[in-house]
Amino acid sequence: MAVRVYSARRVVTMDATTPEATHVAVRDGRILGAGGPELLGFYPGAVEDARFAGKVIVPGFVEGHAHASEGMVWRRPYLGFFDRTMPDGSTAPGARTRADALERLRTLEAELPPGEPLLVWGFDPIYDDGPRLHRRDLDAISTSRPIVVSHASGHIINVNTLVLERSGFSADSNLDGLLRDADGLTGELMGPPAMQRATRVAGGGGLMQRLDEPGLRAFARQAARAGITTATDLQRKLDDETLDLMRRVTAEPGFPMRLVAALGAREYTLAEGVARIGQLLGTGNEKLHLGIVKLTVDGSIQGFTGRLRWPGYHNGAPNGMWYIAPAELEGIVAAYLRVGAQIHIHTNGDEASAVAIDALEHVLARCPRPEHRTTLQHCQMADAAQFRRMAALGMAANLFVNHIYYWGEQHAALTAGPVRAPRMNAAATARREGVPVAIHSDAPVTPLGPLFAMWCVVNRLTSKGRVFAPAERLDVAQALHAVTLGPAWTLRLDHAIGSIAPGKFADFAVLEDDPFDVAPERLREIDVHATVVGGVVCLP
Amino acid sequence: MIRLLVVGGFLGAGKTTLINRLLARAERRFAVLVNDFGSVAVDAALLAAADASSMTLANGCVCCSIGDDFGLALERVAAGGPELVVVEASGVSDPWRIAQLALVEPGYELGPLVVLADAADLPRLLADPAIGDVVRGQLAYADIVVLTKTDLAGERLVQTREVVRTIRPQAHVIEARHGEVGLAELDFAVPHERARFLATAAHPFRTWTWRDPRPFDRGALRALLGALPASVLRIKGFCGLDEEAGDFLLQYAAERWSFTRSGAGAERALVVIGTQALDPAYLAADFAAALR
Repeated sequence: MAVRVYSARRVVTMDATTPEATHVAVRDGRILGAGGPELLGFYPGAVEDARFAGKVIVPGFVEGHAHASEGMVWRRPYLGFFDRTMPDGSTAPGARTRADALERLRTLEAELPPGEPLLVWGFDPIYDDGPRLHRRDLDAISTSRPIVVSHASGHIINVNTLVLERSGFSADSNLDGLLRDADGLTGELMGPPAMQRATRVAGGGGLMQRLDEPGLRAFARQAARAGITTATDLQRKLDDETLDLMRRVTAEPGFPMRLVAALGAREYTLAEGVARIGQLLGTGNEKLHLGIVKLTVDGSIQGFTGRLRWPGYHNGAPNGMWYIAPAELEGIVAAYLRVGAQIHIHTNGDEASAVAIDALEHVLARCPRPEHRTTLQHCQMADAAQFRRMAALGMAANLFVNHIYYWGEQHAALTAGPVRAPRMNAAATARREGVPVAIHSDAPVTPLGPLFAMWCVVNRLTSKGRVFAPAERLDVAQALHAVTLGPAWTLRLDHAIGSIAPGKFADFAVLEDDPFDVAPERLREIDVHATVVGGVVCLP
Repeated sequence: MIRLLVVGGFLGAGKTTLINRLLARAERRFAVLVNDFGSVAVDAALLAAADASSMTLANGCVCCSIGDDFGLALERVAAGGPELVVVEASGVSDPWRIAQLALVEPGYELGPLVVLADAADLPRLLADPAIGDVVRGQLAYADIVVLTKTDLAGERLVQTREVVRTIRPQAHVIEARHGEVGLAELDFAVPHERARFLATAAHPFRTWTWRDPRPFDRGALRALLGALPASVLRIKGFCGLDEEAGDFLLQYAAERWSFTRSGAGAERALVVIGTQALDPAYLAADFAAALR
C-alpha cells in the first residue's frame, strides 16, 4: 500500500515524544509517524498530500459520553434557544424569544397534515425571563391538534388543553407533577408518570426509540462535523438486531466514525446483562468497540433527581432518586468486573459519586482487577477528597463541563446554590489529584462539540457571562487532552486512538484554526474542515 | 372497573416472594406488573405460555414486565380483562407516585397502597443517611404495611412497629411470618354494610357512604378534599358538580384527587374508606356544607 504524507500548517500530536510536527505519514489506515518534510524521504514512493496545507491537524476527537439518539431526535422539530446543526448539515435555528418560539410552532402547525400531533423538543425557557409557557399560548396555535413541547432538560413538557383533556388531567385533578395557577392547570407537566401519559395520549412515543440505520448514519455525520472520530453510544440495549446493524454499518470502509457501544445495564436483569456482555467481549471490529457496561446510579441535578450530600438542594427540594440502591451497587459492579466488562457509572450528585467509589473500593479489596479504569460519568459535584479516592482506586472522571454554560445559572439559583455551583465540574482539581479527565456533551442533551466543551472548560463561563471558579479552568493543552487521550483512556482505547503516534489509527480532526493561537474565548468558533478516520478523509 | 393494588417496599422487603406466592395460589384472576421480570419464579407446571415480556399461567393469571411506560403497561394489561392488577414498584422507587396515576387511568380504581418492610431491618434502613429518606418516603402514604421476616426480628419488632406508627399512623400493619399473606388481606377489608361501624380486628378499615343526588359546589368540594382528616384513606363514587349536566367520577387518595366526567347512569353516591378513627357524623356535615 502506498504511503501518504499529509502536510499541514501544524500537527499537534498529543504525543510527548514528538509533540509538534508539520507532516504525518499514513499507510493502511494507520500512522507511520509524525515529523517534518523528511518523512517523505523515509518511505520510497510516498505521496505528499497537501490538501490540508493551510490547516491544523489534531488527533481525532473522542466523545466519551454521547447517545446515538443524537442522530434521531431531528425527526422532530427543534425548539431550542441555540442554533444547532442537523445531520443534513442545515441549521436548526434557535428561537431566541418567546415570540420566536410561538411563531415557529405556528408555522410547523400550519405545515402538518390534519390529525397529526405537533411534537417538538429542546425548548429551553431558562433564558426567558417572561412568564412560563402556558397552555393558553399553545391553545392559540391549535385547540384541535395535540401539542407537546419537550424541554431541553428532558424533565418537563408543556402541552395544550387538548392533551390535558385526553390525559384526564384538569383543574379537578390534584396529582403530583401537574403545575397549576389560579386558572387551573398551566399545561406544564413534570416527572415520568404524568409526562409519559400525556405524550402517549398525544400520539408520540419517546425520543429514545430503537436505533435504526438512518439514525446511526446521521449520528456519525453529526460526529464528523464536530471533528469526532470515535463516539460512544453510552446506554443501549444491545440485542441481536441492534448489534447486526452496528457491525454491518461500521464495517463499511467509508463509515466516518468508530463507535463504542455500551450495554445499558438497566435494560437487563443483572444475570442477563452479565451474560450478554460476556458474549460481546472481543466481538467488535476496528470501528466497533464493545465490552463497556453503563450503570446509572442517580438522576439529574437540574431535574432534582440527582443524589446530593449535605446540605442538599439549595431551594430545599427533597433529595433525588436512586436508580440503583447503594447496597446493590457493589454486587452489580463485582458481577460485571468478574466477567471482564469495563464499567462506566452515571453519578451526577456527590452522594451518588460517594456510593460508587465505596462500592468499587469494596469490590477491589476482594477481587483486585488491574487496569479496570472504572469511569464516573458526569461526576459533576465531586470534590478534592473524592477525586483523591478515585485516583487511588484507578478511576477516571468524564466531567459534564457543558453544564457550566447551559445550566450554570440555574445551578447557582436553585440546585447546588451560589457557593457550590461554581465548584461543579472541578476539572483542574481532578487533574491535580491525579484523576484521568475527559469532558463530554451527553448529546443530544447538549450539542456534540469537543471544541465547545474545550471552550467551556477553558473559560468556565455561564450563559450570562459569569465566570465559575477560574481556578478550575484547564489550559488549552489540558483541554485538548480531555477530548482526545483522556476519553480514549476511559474507553480502554488509548493504545489505538487519541494521539498522533506510530502504530495508531490515522484518525485526525482537521481544523481551520489553531486552538493554541486563537483567543481562549474564541475556541468554540473554530471550524472543523474535515476528519480522517483510518486514513479515509471525510468532509462534512 | 379494575382494582389496582400497588405493592412497594425497599429491596429485600420480600416483594418478589409475596408476588410469587400470590401467583402460585391465585384466589382470583389477576395480572401482575413487575419491573424485574426475570425474578418472577413461576412453577413450570403452572405456566401456560410465555414470551420475552409476559407469562400466562394455567390459573388465568398473567405476569408482565412494566417496561418503559407504566401507563402503557396498564392499558395493555386491561385488555385481558383481569379482576385485579397488582403492580410491584421497584425497590428504590416511590410507590405513591405510581399509585396516584390510577386516579385518572380510565377503567381503573385505586386499591390500597401496600408497602412491605423487613421487620428486622427497617430501623437500620431508616437510620442510613443515603437511603433513609427513600425508605421513609415509601411508607409515607401506605394504607397497609406488611411486616416481613418477623420471625427474625426478635425484640426489634416492637421498635419497627413504633417507627411505622410514627411515619404513617393511619396504616394498618399486618405481620407476614414467611410471606404468607392472602390477597384478601391486602385489600380494604371492611365489615358488611349492616354492621359497618362494628369494626373488629378482622376489619381494620371502616366504610361509610354518602348518598345525595344534589350536586356539589365545585370550589367547595375541592376545598373539602384539600382539608379531609387523616382518617380518610379513599373516596370513590359519582356525583354532580355545579349546574353541569351528567355525573363525575371522583377518586381521592392521600391528599390527591381527581374528578373526571363519567358516562353516567350510576347512582350518585360516594363511598368513603377510612381507618377506625373515621367519623361519619363529621364527614356528613362537611359533605352537606359543600352541596350547591
